[in-house]
Amino acid sequence: MKIMVTVKRVIDPYAKVRPLSDGSGVDTTGVKFDANPFDEIAVEEAVRQKEKNPVIEIVAVSLGGTECEEQLRKALAMGADKAVLIESSENYDTLAVAEEFVALVKAESPDLVLMGKQSTDGDNNQVGQMMAALLGWPQATFASKLELADGTARVTRETDTGEETLEMNLPAIVTTDLRLNEPRYIALPGIIKARSKPLEKRPPSSTATSRVKTVKVEAVPARSAGKKVGSVDELVAELSARGLF
Amino acid sequence: MASLESQSIPATGCSFLQGAPASAFAPEDFSSDERLMVQMAEQFSQKEILPNLDRMDAQEEGLVPTIVQHAGALGFCGPDTSADFGGLGLGKNLAARILEYLSLNASFSVTIGITSGISQVGLQLFGSRELQEKYLPPLCSGEHIGAYCLSEPNSGTDSLSLSTRADQHGGKWVLNGTKMWISNAKWANQFLVMAKVGGEKISAFLVERDFPGVSISREEHKMGLKGSSTARVMLENAEVPLENMVYEEGRGHIVAFNALNLGRFKLSSMSIGPARQAMTHASEYALDRKQFGQSIGRFGLIEQKFAKMAALFYAAESAIYRTGALIDSAFESGHAQYPDDRIKGNIRGAEEYSVECSICKVFSTEAEGQIVDECLQVYGGYGFTEEFPIARIYRDCRVSRIYEGTNEINRFFIADRLLRRMRAGTVIFGPGDGFIHDLCGEACALVSNLENPHQAVLGALADLAILTYVEQSARLRVSRNPAAFGQLHAVFCNWANAEAARAYQLISGNPVSLPAPAAVDLGAIAGLVYEKRGPVN
Ligand SMILES: Cc1cc2nc3c(=O)[nH]c(=O)nc-3n(C[C@H](O)[C@H](O)[C@H](O)COP(=O)(O)OP(=O)(O)OC[C@H]3O[C@@H](n4cnc5c(N)ncnc54)[C@H](O)[C@@H]3O)c2cc1C
Repeated sequence: MKIMVTVKRVIDPYAKVRPLSDGSGVDTTGVKFDANPFDEIAVEEAVRQKEKNPVIEIVAVSLGGTECEEQLRKALAMGADKAVLIESSENYDTLAVAEEFVALVKAESPDLVLMGKQSTDGDNNQVGQMMAALLGWPQATFASKLELADGTARVTRETDTGEETLEMNLPAIVTTDLRLNEPRYIALPGIIKARSKPLEKRPPSSTATSRVKTVKVEAVPARSAGKKVGSVDELVAELSARGLF
Repeated sequence: MASLESQSIPATGCSFLQGAPASAFAPEDFSSDERLMVQMAEQFSQKEILPNLDRMDAQEEGLVPTIVQHAGALGFCGPDTSADFGGLGLGKNLAARILEYLSLNASFSVTIGITSGISQVGLQLFGSRELQEKYLPPLCSGEHIGAYCLSEPNSGTDSLSLSTRADQHGGKWVLNGTKMWISNAKWANQFLVMAKVGGEKISAFLVERDFPGVSISREEHKMGLKGSSTARVMLENAEVPLENMVYEEGRGHIVAFNALNLGRFKLSSMSIGPARQAMTHASEYALDRKQFGQSIGRFGLIEQKFAKMAALFYAAESAIYRTGALIDSAFESGHAQYPDDRIKGNIRGAEEYSVECSICKVFSTEAEGQIVDECLQVYGGYGFTEEFPIARIYRDCRVSRIYEGTNEINRFFIADRLLRRMRAGTVIFGPGDGFIHDLCGEACALVSNLENPHQAVLGALADLAILTYVEQSARLRVSRNPAAFGQLHAVFCNWANAEAARAYQLISGNPVSLPAPAAVDLGAIAGLVYEKRGPVN
């Protein structure tokens, strides 16, 4: 059995970011990068499944420049068996990313694709769903529990109204939510071992087509000072003066 | 990985006096997987140590050994011990960087610093293969905790005057004496003990806690580091197998002092860990606390404090990891020089940069002291209470300037070594590397002509050497991030130039005029500290 996990290189989610002065994107000088936290949860889940069932093979995959090797090595240190980097410095929109990963799925034939429900930089929450559509595979998003049995996956997912449990045949796509697990500490020997695990680089399957264009990136406007009100009546008056009530 | 310094200036101890090398290692040069190891150490501190400080300080039974075992399982207890004996075989520089981030709390720092460091290094460098196979793996895995026993009630700085005896009786060594101030004593399973064979020849012994005649006193009632263990180890006819002598009879001082050289280097990174944590707390507080309708962090005098803290931290860090890379290279060249004599190669590695190790120890522990003191000041009255985290850090950091050789004896050592090297011609001063460096060169010439210089003069000479090495290291690092590091280096120089002038005046008796201060934007540097919630790096 083979599990493919996606690992995206993102700006450290705790770093303070600034837009570039021309608004074309985010200024990345001196900014730290890390693996997308939702993807780390996906890697952790794959490793836990492998601990229960050692025949599982875990392939960590990423799309981007050579620098993404860093995040793939982290996945290898956590316990992935091998890594594949689709190497490209082009800009991809979510559909183009999904198409590249689908091409990789066809080459690697995993039984399960585990991925973060979204990445902390774009917050799109689209690639998993798009891949399921392109592949015609069943999907379960926002997983908070995953059980694998022969040929099927049972997934508990978090919805606005409560927990929902789905069962589906493999192969399938499962996207992870925060409560699925807490990624482990990576033991230092694991990091050393990851240096010698295979990491394959391959070119993209087709030239990047971006159907969505970023028009402008702006900083969140600074919050102006609040105002203290003495009573509910005063509050209502203030709100309606601003057209908010 | 660590790169060797310079081509034109030989990479030998004290060569910084000849001038600046073309480049020097800086923390930014650690590779991405090395940085991942450091990140794991930080995570471990955040999740396993910092939430438990009250329980640790209350000496909750069993807590610390359990944390050490957990740390060991992750590889934190033997990073630079050979993989043949359960370690990871990493370089000393990376091991020190990992240790810095395990040191956000000083009590845990001592515990893990001793068990992964000075308790192992004697065995690492000088132990027989049998002793290494027996005693290193349980330390590396965290199952055992180690301790290092040199000090005695009447023999502290003057450590060679120790009076613990070892005599051979009935096919065993029999040890008698009291070892004082032994870190980890409460938890340790094994002790590296210095004793004098026949009351004369200093030798090192590996002593297990369970050997007959070994006992541990009650804990010392300390001002700080309450979450660490410090007690006396009593040896009353303690029986030690003959094979547990480490290295040779009468050569225990070589074991002890080389362990201390490396220990001083590691203590440097252990002391900037708490300084980092103090800056994190104080910068959060400075943004939060409002007086006169604004965050106190925006007052100029508070900005000035954070700018200076950031500069001292930056400078200490620059010197420490430059030195670590040099030590790693000295071990490499030592082993290349003596391919058939492991111990000789190790001695070269541990000794070559002993002056730089002492420089790092003195500078980093004093930077820690200043940073923590100013952080407490930022808290105002609240800093003086136990309700806020800074009071504990303040108490804990005081001892850094006392152990692993007091800063006084380290200053003496720096000046003494430097003068010896100059007299022997193994170091030649080269002018033209800046204001502090030039003052240091002139001071060396003046002092080497003195018949019997007062210790205050030697101390001032040591200060000049310290400032020279640290300023040079800070300067060599600027290229990694010129905008921010250039400013930090400038703030550092504005302070260090005046300190250097003071030291030089003490030696020469003549006034010195200072270079004009560099223009610095204190508000901008403080802003970086607030944004990072800690040192700028
Ligand atoms: C919390 C803690 C943990 C420790 N852990 C260990 C441990 O694990 N193992 C171990 O072996 N030791 C340990 N020590 C001992 C420590 O290394 C000694 O305290 C230190 O070396 C100083 O010795 P002393 O306390 O006897 O002071 P003294 O030597 O009596 O010094 C008193 C003062 O005189 C000054 N002085 C002494 N000689 C000179 C000189 N020649 N020139 C100028 N000034 C001088 C000193 O600098 C100091 O200011 C620990 C100490 C503490 C407090």
